[in-house]
Amino acid sequence: MRKVFAGSGAPAVGDLSLDIPAGQIVVLVGPSGCGKTTTLKMINRLIEPTGGEIFVLGTEVHSVSAPVLRRSIGYVIQQIGLFPHRTIEANMATVPRLLGWDKARIRARVDELADLVGLDRGLLRRYPSELSGGQQQRVGVARALAADPPILLMDEPYSAVDPIVRAHLQDELLALQRRVHKTIVLVTHDIDEAIKLGDQVAILNVGGVLEQYATPAEVLRAPASEFVARFLGRERGLKRLALIRVDEVPRVDGPVVDINATPDEARAVMDKWNVDWAGVRDGHRLLGWASGRDLDGRARVGDAPLQPFQSWVTTETTLREALDVLLNSSTRVAVVVDDDNNYLGMLTVEQISEGIL
Amino acid sequence: MSILAAYDGDVWIDWSWVGDHGDEIVTHLREHAELTALSIGLGLLIAVPLGLLAAFHPRVRGVTIAATGVLYTIPSLAAFALLLPWTGLSRATAVIPLASYTLLIIIRNIVAGIHGVPREVREAATGMGYTSAARIGWVDIPLALPAMFAGLRIALVTVIGLIPVAALVGQGGLGRLMRDGFDRGFRTPLTVGIVLTVALAVVCDLAVLLAQRVLMPWSRRRRA
Repeated sequence: MRKVFAGSGAPAVGDLSLDIPAGQIVVLVGPSGCGKTTTLKMINRLIEPTGGEIFVLGTEVHSVSAPVLRRSIGYVIQQIGLFPHRTIEANMATVPRLLGWDKARIRARVDELADLVGLDRGLLRRYPSELSGGQQQRVGVARALAADPPILLMDEPYSAVDPIVRAHLQDELLALQRRVHKTIVLVTHDIDEAIKLGDQVAILNVGGVLEQYATPAEVLRAPASEFVARFLGRERGLKRLALIRVDEVPRVDGPVVDINATPDEARAVMDKWNVDWAGVRDGHRLLGWASGRDLDGRARVGDAPLQPFQSWVTTETTLREALDVLLNSSTRVAVVVDDDNNYLGMLTVEQISEGIL
Repeated sequence: MSILAAYDGDVWIDWSWVGDHGDEIVTHLREHAELTALSIGLGLLIAVPLGLLAAFHPRVRGVTIAATGVLYTIPSLAAFALLLPWTGLSRATAVIPLASYTLLIIIRNIVAGIHGVPREVREAATGMGYTSAARIGWVDIPLALPAMFAGLRIALVTVIGLIPVAALVGQGGLGRLMRDGFDRGFRTPLTVGIVLTVALAVVCDLAVLLAQRVLMPWSRRRRA
């Protein structure tokens, strides 16, 4: 598709071709002027393309009237745009009403939606101005999902909320997507948001030029152009770490001895790992660590004073968090445990840097 | 000065006169209310469709605001006098100029109200599948209503305050009492006329405000 705005020589979006896989979150990201919002709005025909074809679920968008098309595509915008004169309930019921659902069905759906986006049902009778920004944003998403459209378009949905609420809403969207499996096209100028939310990321340059279209991990591993590399910014390695889970890299046993080991046995392990401490385990539990100088004259390692580990991670923790935890610990390791706190192994800086090779 | 001198020593209100002329006072008050209702009604009948048209069509807007602006500048007494040869002592003599004064006020407020509808609300409505006509009816106009009501209140108070002038060309209303007071150098009917005119304006204003609160509960529920 392409779009040239009247009175403008250069196209806002020139000959862009994009295949959006069903059930995935595709993020359009790029600097201002890259045509990402224009591209999004051509999907629901809020902006009419100058040329080209757009298919939604195999149907060309111009084969039905624009209002009918739009009722089958959820739409969430940055400023939310709730109807101030309607209650939260009526706001959520907008599209079902346009589609002529009966009252009982709408009521049931509204309750379901409130639960889906985590909105207290007590708020349903309120007006939008009585809700916080975060709550309004949830209502905006609920309203877009009301008629269960297979597709959801989101235009910078989180840029108007503060960073803490934004992170929370992003997590909610990911949790929601795991349940509803919509095809989501999301526009943002924030590369970190794109990496966090996207199954696929389309990086657009000025004029709607597609620079790279790949998974976030692939984009970070191998930026397709100088532009992409610049757009990703300096902390590419750290951003990649945020996409990899502890489970995905090999871990080591670490300098760990049994609670009944002798000080000599412990020293041998410490020498082998070239550290002056040893982790002490009792079966599946890692109890803590003992310093080398505290071992003198003890019958067994377990008699020495034990320091607690403060750097626990699980297999689901991202490497970025694991690295952060590791850097803040005096033993310079991250201790990996399962959900039942059973000891699984350790990560050091070496394992983490191997993860991004 | 001669008029003022005539009131020398007169009391502001003579309750016995008020008691004796109860029926007459009520009649004038009713006439005043009727003239108000007719003028506002005619004004709304013309201004609402014109205002909506003006809000959505820039060309109509320019012409409408200019034309109603000219009407608004005609002094009321002159307008009444101008119409007298055609409409005589019928109510039209008062109602036509009064209604014409409401046009500018109501139309401007409709335009401001429609233009005040947040862009994102309109975009959301369109994006969810409202047709243009449905969006105007269910989103734009309801959201413009508070501004329209504000215009209605100004128009009401303006008309109620102007009706006494119409008494000078033989129309009824509380202006009759005032004229009577002037003519006879007797303060009481003057006082009664003024007080009731102000009271009528206040009551109408509050009534519209109350109606707005009942009809548009969302417009006052704002978070601090």
